[in-house]
Amino acid sequence: MTTIEGAFVRGTRVLVVDDSSLVRLYYRDALEKAGFEVEQAMNGLEAMEKALGGGFDLLVVDINMPKMDGLSFLRELRRSRTEAAAVPALIITTEAGSEDMQEARAAGANFYLVKPVSEEDLVAHAEVLAGRVR
Amino acid sequence: MPLVRRGTTPPPEPAVAEDRAHALEALRSADPDVRWNAARTFQNDPVGVVALAAALETEPVQRVREAIMTALMRIGTDASVKALLPYLRWQDAARRGAAIEALQSLPDAIAPFMSALLRDQDNDVRILAIELVRGMPAEQATTLLCRLLEHENHPNVCASAIDALADLGTEEALPILRACARRFAKTPFLPFAISTAIARISDTKG
Amino acid sequence: MAQSETADERAFHVTPEEVRRLCEFLYRRTGMLFAEDKRYYIDRRLHERIVATGSSSFQSYFALLRSGLEGEVEHLVNAFTVNETYFFREEHQLRCMTNDLLPTVLRNKPPNEPIRIWSVPCSTGEEPYSIGIWLMEHFPAVDDYQIEIVGSDIDTRVLAAASQGVYGTRSLMKLPPSLIERYFENPSPGAYRIDAGLRNSIQFTEVNLVDARAVAQHQGFDIVLCRNLLIYFDDASRRIAAENLYEALRPGGFVCLGHSETMSRISSLFRVCRYPDAIVYQRPETERDND
Repeated sequence: MTTIEGAFVRGTRVLVVDDSSLVRLYYRDALEKAGFEVEQAMNGLEAMEKALGGGFDLLVVDINMPKMDGLSFLRELRRSRTEAAAVPALIITTEAGSEDMQEARAAGANFYLVKPVSEEDLVAHAEVLAGRVR
Repeated sequence: MPLVRRGTTPPPEPAVAEDRAHALEALRSADPDVRWNAARTFQNDPVGVVALAAALETEPVQRVREAIMTALMRIGTDASVKALLPYLRWQDAARRGAAIEALQSLPDAIAPFMSALLRDQDNDVRILAIELVRGMPAEQATTLLCRLLEHENHPNVCASAIDALADLGTEEALPILRACARRFAKTPFLPFAISTAIARISDTKG
Repeated sequence: MAQSETADERAFHVTPEEVRRLCEFLYRRTGMLFAEDKRYYIDRRLHERIVATGSSSFQSYFALLRSGLEGEVEHLVNAFTVNETYFFREEHQLRCMTNDLLPTVLRNKPPNEPIRIWSVPCSTGEEPYSIGIWLMEHFPAVDDYQIEIVGSDIDTRVLAAASQGVYGTRSLMKLPPSLIERYFENPSPGAYRIDAGLRNSIQFTEVNLVDARAVAQHQGFDIVLCRNLLIYFDDASRRIAAENLYEALRPGGFVCLGHSETMSRISSLFRVCRYPDAIVYQRPETERDND
């Protein structure tokens, strides 16, 4: 997949949601290197508060988190009737089963990846979902 | 002035189940609010564990389930822990999350179960067990996590353990972390996590 | 003594990784987040607590913190929060109340049912009185409804002070002179007392938000302001408090927390609502879909 430097819209904003600070750091570094603006949340509740503020072009969301898990967050966001409700979402799961994929889709995920996720996979999928590369 | 102060007589007490028999029956009510209130009255009643555990199995409404789990948490006995443990295996992340959060508040009651949980066949259960380990003193936690890492092959379980070590690990963890770095050199994310954990531990002066 | 000086100095030089550990702990525990550029701010407060607890190093301090003993988490959080209370302190929440929350509440309120607002903890009363003043000044429909404001706290001394309603100039610093004149008497230099009418229209009660029985006497609220309390609670207490707050609200009612506080597991209890001036949590009007 080729990318065209300079054709990017500057400041594409991503919200990274995971309860592990190391995972958030890893995703943030990879995405910032690729030119994204990254914000973080450590659980679905915090993600909800931030996402509702609008302005995000992509959500990267882990499934298993305290207080509010990733799918619950996504479901809640999708039914919120705000502009934020339609933001593309990449769900990160721990299993590759088709059941999980179906559940993720049903909750409103646009795509899903299985942990552990490589930098390359994360960035490639982020770029597609955020509409930066057609 | 539109601001009105009600009289000092408190409003009538809402219908709170006064005795256990009444509460037990209320747990089976068709009305979720009645079940909700019933769950909340069991907070300090160890005898309620059996009824609460049974109710939990069939409760369809999430907030009532969680109120039941809160009640089990507040009772905090060995029996409460046993009633909550099966939910670590549920497919549903919300249910697992609710159970683990209740158990996290019971570090003493959960202690006898920790070794078995860390050796469980289910990856997700081992990951949740690592969350429970975070509630322990640093030396004890480090020992358990190192023991896990010696034999653990699943990358996501390792990732959770390494994350916990980054937050609380002592220098005892350094050798096993270096060994993991060699084992997982080709796995995504883990080399990053391990080097971050090593840096964080090494830089925490005694 | 030379030895304690050395220990003190050593403890003061907290390394970047140690600060990261502390910040991660605070974030997980309270939801408070500190950016990298706030380093010196963190260093100072951390140093204060290391010294105050007689810890010989960051590591022993951190062990104390993680153990939950001696209420150190509360002391540390206190060191990081500004606890001063004054009138109109969280003006954005008051604006949200009149601009967004009350209109929503009133859409479904039966005629003749009063509006009930709860301030907990109310401390020395600035918040409940602020609510009263704000409504009278900024709520267009204020004369169309009966409004009941209740202020509660676990500490009976502050409740007594709240009932007295006497404040110093510092408490009034955000109030324009016109409002001070309208709602306060000035019995002696530097002392301002809330007018009797307003004073007598607020009900002050003692309550522990973790005690369901006590909270059961506080019901049917449309709006609850619960600022600067949950941040001090551990997860278990937050869980219980969340259930009690749910119980205290009418269906469709709202809870407002303070800055950078996160609630417990609330997805089953409340909907997150983000308004221009505040993020609030709403008890659903009707039962959620079953999961």
